[in-house]
Amino acid sequence: MASPVSVYNSNVLDAHISSTSRESLKMELLADVTLLPGEERIIDKDIIYICPFSGAVKGKVLITNYRLYFKSCDADVAVTLDVPLGAISRVEKMGGVSSRGENSYGLDITCKDMRNLRFALKQEGHSRRDIFELLFKHAFPISHGLPLFAYVTQEKYEENGWSVYRPVEELRRQGLPNNKWRITFINKNYELCDTYPAVLAVPFKCKEEDLRRVSSFRSRGRIPVLSWIHRENRAAIARCSQPLVGMSGKRNKDDERYLDLIRDANDTAKLTIYDARPNVNAVANKATGGGYEGDEYHNAELVFLDIHNIHVMRESLKKLKDIVYPNVEESHWLSSLESTHWLEHIKLVLSGAIQVADKVSSGNSVVVHCSDGWDRTAQLTSLAMLMLDSHYRTLKGLQVLIEKEWISFGHKFTSVRNFTCVRPECRSGCLLGFAKNTAVCVCVCACARACVCLIVLVRVQRIGHGDKNHADQDRSPIFVQFMDCVWQMSKQFPTAFEFNERLLLTILEHLYSCRFGTFLYNCESAREQNALRQKTVSLWSLVNSKTELYLNPFYTPESGRVLYPVASMRHLELWVTYYIRWNPRIRQQQSPVEQRYLELLALRDEYIKKLEELRLSDSSRLADDGPGGDTSSPSPASSPTRQQHYTHLQTPF
Amino acid sequence: MEFSEHIKTANVEDVVLQQPLHPPSKGTLCITSHHLLFSDREERSGRQVLLLLRNIDAVEKSSVENLVNYFGLFPNAGRSDRATESSGTLVIKCKDLRVLQLEIPGMEQCLNIAQSIETLSCLDCVAEMYPFFYRPSNASLRDQWGLSTPERHYTEMEALHGRWRLSTVNQDYSVCPSYPPAVIVPKAIGDDALKKAAKFRQGGRFPVLCYYHRKNGTAAIEGSDKGYIIDTRSAQQAQQARMMGGGFESKSCYSGWKRLHRHMERGKTLQESLIKLVEACGDKSPNMDRWLSKLENSKWLSHVQTALSTAGLLAECVERDGRSVLVHGSEGTGSTLLISTLAQLIMDPSCRTLEGFLTLLEREFVQAGHPFQQRCSHSAFSHARLQQECPVFLLLLDCVWQLWYQFPLALGFSEALLLRLATEAYSSDYGTFLCNSDMERCALQVKGKTHCLFRVLLKPREREQYTNPLYEPNELAIWPSVHPQSLQLWRGFFLRWTQQTHHLELVQEDIRNMVIEWGKLALS
Repeated sequence: MASPVSVYNSNVLDAHISSTSRESLKMELLADVTLLPGEERIIDKDIIYICPFSGAVKGKVLITNYRLYFKSCDADVAVTLDVPLGAISRVEKMGGVSSRGENSYGLDITCKDMRNLRFALKQEGHSRRDIFELLFKHAFPISHGLPLFAYVTQEKYEENGWSVYRPVEELRRQGLPNNKWRITFINKNYELCDTYPAVLAVPFKCKEEDLRRVSSFRSRGRIPVLSWIHRENRAAIARCSQPLVGMSGKRNKDDERYLDLIRDANDTAKLTIYDARPNVNAVANKATGGGYEGDEYHNAELVFLDIHNIHVMRESLKKLKDIVYPNVEESHWLSSLESTHWLEHIKLVLSGAIQVADKVSSGNSVVVHCSDGWDRTAQLTSLAMLMLDSHYRTLKGLQVLIEKEWISFGHKFTSVRNFTCVRPECRSGCLLGFAKNTAVCVCVCACARACVCLIVLVRVQRIGHGDKNHADQDRSPIFVQFMDCVWQMSKQFPTAFEFNERLLLTILEHLYSCRFGTFLYNCESAREQNALRQKTVSLWSLVNSKTELYLNPFYTPESGRVLYPVASMRHLELWVTYYIRWNPRIRQQQSPVEQRYLELLALRDEYIKKLEELRLSDSSRLADDGPGGDTSSPSPASSPTRQQHYTHLQTPF
Repeated sequence: MEFSEHIKTANVEDVVLQQPLHPPSKGTLCITSHHLLFSDREERSGRQVLLLLRNIDAVEKSSVENLVNYFGLFPNAGRSDRATESSGTLVIKCKDLRVLQLEIPGMEQCLNIAQSIETLSCLDCVAEMYPFFYRPSNASLRDQWGLSTPERHYTEMEALHGRWRLSTVNQDYSVCPSYPPAVIVPKAIGDDALKKAAKFRQGGRFPVLCYYHRKNGTAAIEGSDKGYIIDTRSAQQAQQARMMGGGFESKSCYSGWKRLHRHMERGKTLQESLIKLVEACGDKSPNMDRWLSKLENSKWLSHVQTALSTAGLLAECVERDGRSVLVHGSEGTGSTLLISTLAQLIMDPSCRTLEGFLTLLEREFVQAGHPFQQRCSHSAFSHARLQQECPVFLLLLDCVWQLWYQFPLALGFSEALLLRLATEAYSSDYGTFLCNSDMERCALQVKGKTHCLFRVLLKPREREQYTNPLYEPNELAIWPSVHPQSLQLWRGFFLRWTQQTHHLELVQEDIRNMVIEWGKLALS
């Protein structure tokens, strides 16, 4: 008799999987890994994976120059792991030769994607030495003089993702240049601002020398430039970094005039400056030479949006990780979730973006900045643009939005945040890694200067324990947070986005994987110097070569509609399929739904084809019959692109 | 009795109505024996609100201070007008969680209206309720009532004829007043034995078959072969019940049966949980301080979790272990029905179609004797002292919604159906949820004098509205995840009257229409 069931554990999925994969396990354990072109085996080994869900699992690990792959050899516990080495932030030895206890000797691996992995090995004969050294070497290739996998891969795709975003083309789409805004190439050699792109849009009346003078008054030279302009009311979103006001309250006439030109371009009475930071933080920044726009900026109002800085966000995400991995905090789940404040931060970011979008759609130009203008600023401008412009809600549009507001404007995808030089007059901060066993930085930025390293040294020492890379851990919670906001919006407007959740998950997966060039380096200048576009593949090549996987069958295009999500705690949800995706108990049944969506997409295409055929035969019949012929054709209102009645949502702040 | 006795003021002009999702409007308010009717003065708008008085859970008269404030705003208003032009405000809180506000000119009229609503919204006499007066033009009282009967159910389930029989021992409801006249019992047990067993069970609810698992021939029975007994009380509660003359099956007398205790909250605790949750959802403070903590403190989601996991346990015993299971609590008319219904949805694909689900509800809740009248007489807003109210049925619908959310393809019906049922259970034009048992319904001739909701929901036009466009029949059991992270607040119901939820309802409708339209043309 089977043992009595004591706890209902809803783990059927796992049970099901284990019974079906029993057969395949008899075959070569690692035969089912399909290596990417250019991917090479480094080492494989018998190992024990200390699975936080199933306990110690015997199996085999394969390490290539791209991934760590593990497969259990016990048919009853089918566990596989497939981790891109790029996702690893720390590799440590666990226990020693003399450690007691079962499975106490092995490796402890920390990942950037919200999980930790522990492996145990035999204690005899230094069995972990080779795997540790090889893993360490290949997980941190830059530190060991090796190329990133993106430079090694031989993958070929039908589509070239590097052609998705062309800056001038995108500005033209927005209606630029016009009589108020012009496109400038002043930064083509990245001399005005090394973390800005080469192509910028600035007020028409502003001359190049004015721009240079303004750049001296903005942190890291990040002057206000146009992100987006409303086609009808010509209201603009401009982005920049904080002004270098400092303790003494410095002024810069050129900067003041420049902001007034932005206001003037739209003929509105007041320009609204959104400072993403909490008021106190903005004040505190004066101590390091920064600050915010004061009363000397006539015709401008300043609004603080109370969004906390990257350190607070990283802490919050870390707390979230603590309650979801490895074990989910079950007994007081909701209050634990509340105490991470993660959803509250999401709410503040969304409601900040709503304010920006609302201001612009009512015809007022805005300037958005935080401290450096590459974290919170990118969140606010890109989310506001997503609300205002339906183009960015398409599959290609989102790619453009990310390429433009995040990648080209210098969000620090690669750098170790802790090591960014804080001196505003230093134009560097593009640090990628470290030379072995020393605290000297390897700066890959075009502007590598000696001034960087002193500050870096201090910080490295504070981290101590010679573990160089682990501060890297949550390097980009800001971008993750942005994707979370996009997901929240797609939940609230299920027919407004052409892409589906899978696209968002795929983007986040490859944020760390180093398989594509898309998220490598911190700014355009560094990318150009490293010939990124010539030598690596874009993530969008992968996506655009198989678009059906990423499409939402219910997408109903509506140009011109502004989407205001509800930024209220009651309507925000934790993105369980992302943050808790490693937990087998939480796993939702994604694949049947995805399969059904594919079918629906096919059905929709069939429908559109039939509709087109009907129209054609109808119009030819109409032509034959002349006016007054059969009018019982399917009404245009029934096409999938029909305008639907939507209520405009009131958004409480 | 004359309803008119309770209506001192039937009509009031110039009433201002504020309701969710609409701008305020001015018009005529009218109270009838069963309805509150508001007609917008603007004829073009043609807006009318017709509300069953039974749907009203609480009427709150707002204080005179508001009136003072009101006049404070208009200092030029003539002093003499004040007495005649004073007006009162009624806040009307409905069982479907809608909150309306009426500004009624004339203090006296306002009080009259409030008085009428208070009385007429909670009439005790079932025969005076609206379903007995509702006569839609497109339906006849001779139409078939109900979807199935125990007799038909037995006939259809050929697989169980070998070992189970249909007994009419309860034909005149004398053995068990809350059971239907015909029940399915083991073939080996004669009617006399059933009568004896009934005497030994609370309320006479002797064990009867509710589900027979076709795949392996095991059964879930309500309160057979030896297997498991799932007691929806904790072991301690079951012990205490012993002191009161109830109890549980002792090991020595029921050898071979393994007893599992799963503590499920009932009665007052559940009702209070609902009240707390609704209070949190209605919090109007802008920052919604500590929303998640409030949600947690209401404990509603943990009741959802317990219900789903107990149902999962039941299904596991039957589907995986192949054992028969006897389910009971104390009376067997609440949590027992809840988990046996959920377990059937989990295991049996035929229950997951629109028709199958309604038939399941009819069999497992209505016929099996869930006392709807007592449990649903008030909802979360009422100021009346709690009596027997308990949102078991609402909890069931919430659990079904969780299944629907976790398995978007597996259920043939939509969220809109669950919302409709949640409303109808508390106030309805139909007789389906009237009374507490089959016996009571029979005495009042509910089947002859009212219309049947389930029948109406299956009419072609309604049916289309309630189908799930993504539905794909699936023979496998659907095992819900019961971890707190997988359970969501049923926003569609609890935040129903917010813009965001309303918007999502419209989008769901759009999606359904889209898929239906694609199907029609693409496959033509």
